[in-house]
Amino acid sequence: MSEVMSDTDKLHEFIGEEYKYGFTTDVEYDDFPKGLNEDIIRQLSAIKNEPEWMLEFRLKAFRAWSEMEEPEWFNASYVKPVFDQIQYYSAPKSKPSLESLDELDPAIKETYDRLGIPLDEQERLAGVAVDAVFDSVSVFTSFKEKLADAGVIFCSISEAIQKYPELVKQYMGSVIPARDNFYSALNSAVFSDGSFTYVPKNTISPMELSTYFRINNMDSGQFERTLIIAEENSFVSYLEGCTAPMFDTNQLHAAVVELVALDGAEIKYSTIQNWYSGDENGVGGIYNFVTKRGLAKGNGSKISWTQLETGSAVTLKYPSVILQGDNSVGEFYSVAVTSKRQQADTGTKMIHLGKNTKSTIISKGISAGESQNSYRGLVKIGKNAENARNYSQCDSMLIGQTCGAHTFPYIESANPTGKIEHEATTSRVGEEQIFYLQQRGMSEQDAISMIVNGFVKEVLKELPMEFAIEANKLLDIKLEGSVG
Amino acid sequence: MHFKELEFTSQPPIDWVAPYAAKAAHSLETLSFPTKKDEDWRFTPLKTLTKHSFQSVNGEAKSVTEEHVQKYRLPESRESTLVLVNGAIREDLSSFSLDSSAITVKKLQEMTPSELEEAGFQSLVPVENDYFSVLHTATLTSGYYLHVHKGAKVEAPIHVLNIQTGGPTPYVSSFRLLIHVEQEAEATLIEEHVSLDDSVYLTIPVMETFVQKKGRLNHLRIQRENKSCFHISRPITSLEGTAEYHSYTIALGAHLFRNEPQIIQTGEEVDFTLDGLILIDGDQISDTHSVMDHRFSHGNSHQLHKVVVHGNAHSVFNGKIFVRQDAQIIDSFQENRNLLLSRDGIVYTKPQLEIFADDVQCSHGATIGDLDPDEVFYLQSRGMTEQKAKEVLTYAFALETIENIEVESVHTFLVDEVKAYTSRNVASRF
Repeated sequence: MSEVMSDTDKLHEFIGEEYKYGFTTDVEYDDFPKGLNEDIIRQLSAIKNEPEWMLEFRLKAFRAWSEMEEPEWFNASYVKPVFDQIQYYSAPKSKPSLESLDELDPAIKETYDRLGIPLDEQERLAGVAVDAVFDSVSVFTSFKEKLADAGVIFCSISEAIQKYPELVKQYMGSVIPARDNFYSALNSAVFSDGSFTYVPKNTISPMELSTYFRINNMDSGQFERTLIIAEENSFVSYLEGCTAPMFDTNQLHAAVVELVALDGAEIKYSTIQNWYSGDENGVGGIYNFVTKRGLAKGNGSKISWTQLETGSAVTLKYPSVILQGDNSVGEFYSVAVTSKRQQADTGTKMIHLGKNTKSTIISKGISAGESQNSYRGLVKIGKNAENARNYSQCDSMLIGQTCGAHTFPYIESANPTGKIEHEATTSRVGEEQIFYLQQRGMSEQDAISMIVNGFVKEVLKELPMEFAIEANKLLDIKLEGSVG
Repeated sequence: MHFKELEFTSQPPIDWVAPYAAKAAHSLETLSFPTKKDEDWRFTPLKTLTKHSFQSVNGEAKSVTEEHVQKYRLPESRESTLVLVNGAIREDLSSFSLDSSAITVKKLQEMTPSELEEAGFQSLVPVENDYFSVLHTATLTSGYYLHVHKGAKVEAPIHVLNIQTGGPTPYVSSFRLLIHVEQEAEATLIEEHVSLDDSVYLTIPVMETFVQKKGRLNHLRIQRENKSCFHISRPITSLEGTAEYHSYTIALGAHLFRNEPQIIQTGEEVDFTLDGLILIDGDQISDTHSVMDHRFSHGNSHQLHKVVVHGNAHSVFNGKIFVRQDAQIIDSFQENRNLLLSRDGIVYTKPQLEIFADDVQCSHGATIGDLDPDEVFYLQSRGMTEQKAKEVLTYAFALETIENIEVESVHTFLVDEVKAYTSRNVASRF
């Protein structure tokens, strides 16, 4: 209990009407005209000095995208992005190559400081290497050398295209083909930058890898691309966290994240997403249309997604695992919080193809305000997936009378040796529960915070320590004032 | 006439239904035939339906006599049996002599347009958007209006027996039941569908049911038709405040069985059940798309949907529970259990909760799997053969849904049907 209280105390420093991270930084930008055509893609590829095959990959994706229709099946209604009003590339002028932080553009440095990312501190204290993506181009990568000693490659995807073309060529698009869906096709055509991680055989990454994303510069859609490859018997834990400045026009974010785990390898991917969610009237806010998928390719491989989704006006996101290798394991732990007029349609897909594959889904949705929160999931046991096993639990909590909670679990089995169990509940923060805690001397807000913390505990314990603390704070801030 | 993909020869509609049928035929011109691209038909192929060319029937199939009907008669319903053949009313085979102050039965074709309207005809079934509902109206020939009067407690279960029999030509048969249970009235309805031969037909029964305040209706739906037919049904029920409705659907037959029960709460404090048991094998396809729609406060609902799949059979379940805004204090529970017992069978399930009110307790559970090997082993260790153990466990699985059926003769023949199914299929695995 004291832990909850102290978190709640800390919370007060964060509380404010305005989005705390709503500020912009004036840096000079290398701007492209708005809109998208083959010339823009050629120009983008040329600026990034990409090899011919990369340009081909992009052009192919663009042609596929041009023929595709924007999907509308989500349980969300929003003003569709105007694709020819988006500026598909923006990068800080002349990418700095830095030996130390002192050389960093002071304005960028200040942005990080205000975001509370102590880059220089982290180097020594947290043991976390940060590849900070400032808008679209990586401006700083730390701890590279230490990782290099272990043989782990952790760099921007642009750099990987130059330095490790064979790896990128082999794996990019192998889990999420460009044609997979409308947004992955768009991303494949125009991705500006992102992260690349390669963990060699029998290697445990010496530290947690972390990328902080930050959307800046009005009207610049972000199209990150992340590729993580874990070779045989390796392990890597990857953290992704996001904040964004306050803007009035909707911003599209269509990232693609691909994970590949070979025999005996394990990838743990954690996300905290707290982009600007729009104001009380639903004006502004980020569109978070992300495609994330892991391929548990090898025998005994494991892929685990953990996410805390609190931000964005509209979130459409289904981190998935294809359990191809025999004995492979997939996990999905999620907390999705919506308030104000946010809409989230999120969940996972677990596709069992290999024998003795196992998957676990724990999803907790919290809706407040006038928001709509949907869980959409697919569990599929293929014909040859002998002894596949899935357990899913999807719980929703409603706070207030104007929000909605929805579950759309698709469950399919074509093999009698498979076993699927799914359960879902919907409930609310009970008056009796609050009353009981108030009787014990807690304020109403603390009582709610405690109940909510209990509700999501199963998921948050999956987050790495430093994220878990941030996660608790975020939850409290999000739900502040939701009950009354 | 072509109704999109469905080839169809129609006969001129009968007078009473002509205005409705004409309107429906008009709607069909613009309605598209359901395909896998429609979310509600994603997992249910209609290829086997569209390969046939159907004729509509008005005939009463006079060849059907008491001799055919005898074995379906229920002792409990000696005075309350209504028989239809191919969707047409057969008074000579029916026997209905219940007290008319408690319950009245009318033929829809004998009611005036204003009487029909007053009774709620066409007020629940979709008249424009749903292909098969509209096709039903376009091909409708007859039906019954069952009216249970205020305060009446009808003891004898009302047995509506729909018999199908045909020749070499596939045909369409539609009939309507319009049911009205007035305030504080109680009744039990047994709606049964059987076929006398292996003819191919498409039957689209539609039930529009209204239960008023403190009324109570038990609705047993038994579908044990041949395995060549197509059965697409729409039982839609509207519940006033404090009404009760308990529905049990047992389906064993049909090549394609598509059931879309819908229960709509139109007042506070209702209580309803929507249970189902599906036993399929061979190349049968069974699909239940149910809706439990809570629109007002204080509602209890319970759904247990059990499915056993053998052979190449293919099961689909989509159970929607809606709790609308302001519909507070709802307790809704849905359970879908699937026993997948064969290599080539397949199960798709999608339980779906859509909740817009906060003070609710809603949950669902779904499972798919084979019999538990530990349970089989336990019974074997007590001296049963593996086959017997599996039979017993499959039977026990199915029995849970039948247990609540209070009409004894129905309970008995369903137990026999379940036993026949399990021994037939479990034996085939050895």
